[in-house]
Amino acid sequence: MPSGKQTTTVSHEVISLTVNGQTHEIPVQPQWTLQYVLHERLGLFGTKEFCAEGACGACSVIMDGRAVLSCMILAIECGGRTVETVEGIAQAGHPLIDAYVKYSCMQCGFCTPGFVVTAKALLDRNPDPTVEQIKEAMVGNLCRCGTYPAHIKAIQEAAAVLRGAETAQGGAGREQ
Amino acid sequence: MLDAFDNKVADPYPLEEYKVIGRRGVRRNDGVEKASGSARYTLDVQLPGMLHGRFLTSPHPHAEIVAMDTLAAESMPGVRCVLRYDDPDLAEGVAVSGHELNAVLALPGVAHFQGEECGAFVVADSEEMAENALKKIKVDWKQRPFVLDIEKAIEPDAPLTNPEEFPDSNLWMVHNEGIGDVGKGFAEADRTIDFKWTFGLNTWVGPERPCGVWRWNGDFAEVWVKQQRPHIAKRAISTWFGGIPMSKIDLHCPYQGASFGGWSQMAWNLAGTYLAALASRRTGRPVKWAFNRREDFYGGNMDAGVFYVKVGFKLDGTITAVSMRAVTLNQDMPTFGVVAHLIENTKIPHVQGRTEAAWVNKGHTVPTRCEMNINTYTVNLVCNRVADELGMDPVEVALINDGAEGHDIEWLNQRKAEQGFEVRDSLHECVVRGKTAIGWDEKWHAPGAGRLPNGRMHGLGFTWTHEWDDSAGSGEVAIMFERNDASVTIFGCRADVGVNAETAYCQIAADELGVPVETVRFKHQDDAGFYTMTPDTSTNLSVNGWAVRNAARILKQKLLETAVAPRAKTQLTCFPPAFPDLEAQDLDVEDGVIFEKANHKNQMSIADFIGPSGAMGPITSTVGEPLLVGKEGISYPYRGTPPMFDHGWQIQRGTYLGVRLRFCRQAYFMEVEVDTETGQVEIVKVVTVNDVGKVINWDGCEGQAYGGAIMGIGRGMMEEVVYDERTGIMLNGNLLNYKIPTMMDYGDIETIMVETAMGYGPYGSVGIGEDVATVLPALLGPAVQNALGVWVEGFPITPDRVLKALGKA
Repeated sequence: MPSGKQTTTVSHEVISLTVNGQTHEIPVQPQWTLQYVLHERLGLFGTKEFCAEGACGACSVIMDGRAVLSCMILAIECGGRTVETVEGIAQAGHPLIDAYVKYSCMQCGFCTPGFVVTAKALLDRNPDPTVEQIKEAMVGNLCRCGTYPAHIKAIQEAAAVLRGAETAQGGAGREQ
Repeated sequence: MLDAFDNKVADPYPLEEYKVIGRRGVRRNDGVEKASGSARYTLDVQLPGMLHGRFLTSPHPHAEIVAMDTLAAESMPGVRCVLRYDDPDLAEGVAVSGHELNAVLALPGVAHFQGEECGAFVVADSEEMAENALKKIKVDWKQRPFVLDIEKAIEPDAPLTNPEEFPDSNLWMVHNEGIGDVGKGFAEADRTIDFKWTFGLNTWVGPERPCGVWRWNGDFAEVWVKQQRPHIAKRAISTWFGGIPMSKIDLHCPYQGASFGGWSQMAWNLAGTYLAALASRRTGRPVKWAFNRREDFYGGNMDAGVFYVKVGFKLDGTITAVSMRAVTLNQDMPTFGVVAHLIENTKIPHVQGRTEAAWVNKGHTVPTRCEMNINTYTVNLVCNRVADELGMDPVEVALINDGAEGHDIEWLNQRKAEQGFEVRDSLHECVVRGKTAIGWDEKWHAPGAGRLPNGRMHGLGFTWTHEWDDSAGSGEVAIMFERNDASVTIFGCRADVGVNAETAYCQIAADELGVPVETVRFKHQDDAGFYTMTPDTSTNLSVNGWAVRNAARILKQKLLETAVAPRAKTQLTCFPPAFPDLEAQDLDVEDGVIFEKANHKNQMSIADFIGPSGAMGPITSTVGEPLLVGKEGISYPYRGTPPMFDHGWQIQRGTYLGVRLRFCRQAYFMEVEVDTETGQVEIVKVVTVNDVGKVINWDGCEGQAYGGAIMGIGRGMMEEVVYDERTGIMLNGNLLNYKIPTMMDYGDIETIMVETAMGYGPYGSVGIGEDVATVLPALLGPAVQNALGVWVEGFPITPDRVLKALGKA
């Protein structure tokens, strides 16, 4: 057994964080990222760590209405803030989920939650984005499997559903 | 069923009608989980009391540990266990390969590349605590000389880069392959050319870091693996700690955040799991181990190297001979060769390839979507260079040389007919469709002759090879109809890396059994004793597709035979058949309903036939009627249908050469614009044409095509692992400096599927998962050459290499 074990520990500060409509009082260490708290402490494992340095968008969440990179935000700075994760978006029945499944926007799926979050944030502020606008908004989300072309179609369709229009493809399904 | 193994011929028993196989609109069965964030990966596993393990990595490119002081690390808060390389329990080699069994040290004391895991494995309450403890480990390293360049590594006076594994030479294997006599072939040629290309190191970048979780439940081992080959993982685990019975190992293979074959193939990749098991035993707690992001960059794709080619050809474009020497970087498996596709796909009578496998102080390179890379680059660059020399259309050069094993296309067509296939010219069909899609006839021009109004140079490129799905493999599955609602469960432990073959298997089962595809589930994440072929080695659609089909056909037959047989002889009486006075061949199944073919009104749903479980156990139920026992002469409206369950398997002996001829082809077209001031290449359009024989799942096929195209673009023009020459340190082990394509890094991608039914898979299918990502990278070569009029020799084709080819840098 090791002897002379250190006994100092890192301090915790309790923050109040509202996630997907539920408010939590969470003790956090100062160096913990928001992604760590969501994934490891609140069990919301949809918010993934891919690059851990703000390069890939897999950790995206919506905070106070903006898509942000949760791996680049310290949890301790999030007291009193409101966060929406992919789980909340799915639970609310957002049409993006169904569109993403319909257009097969996922392959390994590890990056997919980050795309859904960024796309939702886009549609929240721009209900009728052009292809160029979609690409610009989503360019910070990396997908190694290369699913990108499918996302454009899915986002356009979800946008159309939200606008109450007929599906963007003009029918309920694609024929061969 | 044994004749199903003879798949050297066309599928002798395809279905007459397809309901969901080949239809669009089949929803993928993992879609909702993955879109909603509820799909669980190994990295997401959280168990009560779980600890976290991390490796010490070497700061030096080649060094051995002389002494190591771990006392400070052990004393840190939250550190529960530090395993050291000199621990007596770690003295012997152990089977930690994800590919085959072997015996290597789980925790070596020597590092052969900067970043290699060695020396210590720290287990703590959190990953952060483990990381902090690693920094406190003091190591006395004895550095050794290192080499990074493969051609320098095989010079006579080069220092040994890995004496532990290769004590004699850094040139550890030479692999030769060929047909004919290249001397004769060159003598017959009208002209010969020599050229060279280099390919820099690129890597897989799996979004989920390599990881695993171990928990001891008494003497039962419970393991979560991020592994493409869970059956190998389980077999290796069974050899640990003096032997663990297979029946005492519970393996979970959750969703996999991709590795494209890369990680899974290494000889060492279960070592983290082994050390987690050992630490778990010592601490009494579950242990999760993981690499950090940087650690995942150290391995690479096996297309890195230097390649020298000589080609002889006639003035009409017929190639008479190809001779090639390749010096490859750190390949774990050099025997895939470099000219195999020329032999398999062309009528070139004289082909010779020599692969010199050299070892440098970098990580291992392994098949990464996939091992055929170099072979496909060879077909590409040989045909395109010949076309360039002759001023010919490269598509014509391809068509002229199409064939197999030194024979022409007519010979190949005769083999197609002999083997029961409808004779189609796959390459011709592919290029006709591809040329139309890219506008080849309107836009193709001589190299360097396409200056655009915007000042850039326009280029069109083409390449081709065969569509593959032909390696050796085997798989086994079980299928059952669940009680109560007759929904179907397929058991087959398999790594879902995203190709979504699972939905394709459900489609096969649905059409074969006659049930709606929505009622079929492929249950692959847990270990129910059946293992499928893995999503690598270019086999799994074919092998597992056959296994599912075999199992489904056997099960359907069992269902119909049981439907006409007396049911459930019990102590009281024998219950009559569900379909009395009929034989199995009088029945069929459609939409989950068993019916008499001659009288559709005589029908019963499978759910009613099988019945729910009830108070008298899983097999019987009285469905709403009161229980009456012990009374003779009373008829009971109750059913006792035996378990409707069966299994199937498939063994495929295909190898790369000589076992089965390859009839299906693939062709790719690329349009680029090149800025000759900056060297920047812009991809305007890519057209992928894959003869997949028969599409089973459209979303799956198209996803592999455009997904593979995007990965191929990355590999061909922006991805390279960079090492510092002076220190041997990898410089860009992160996603900021190792650039993979974003949504704005490609233009238009059009995916075309050709269906000639000339594949050896079920219904004439052949795979696609690896094809596009593997063939596409080198397509940048001829596309950029068509733009510039000069060849860029080095890949990836980054701006500096373009400018160098133009003489500007």
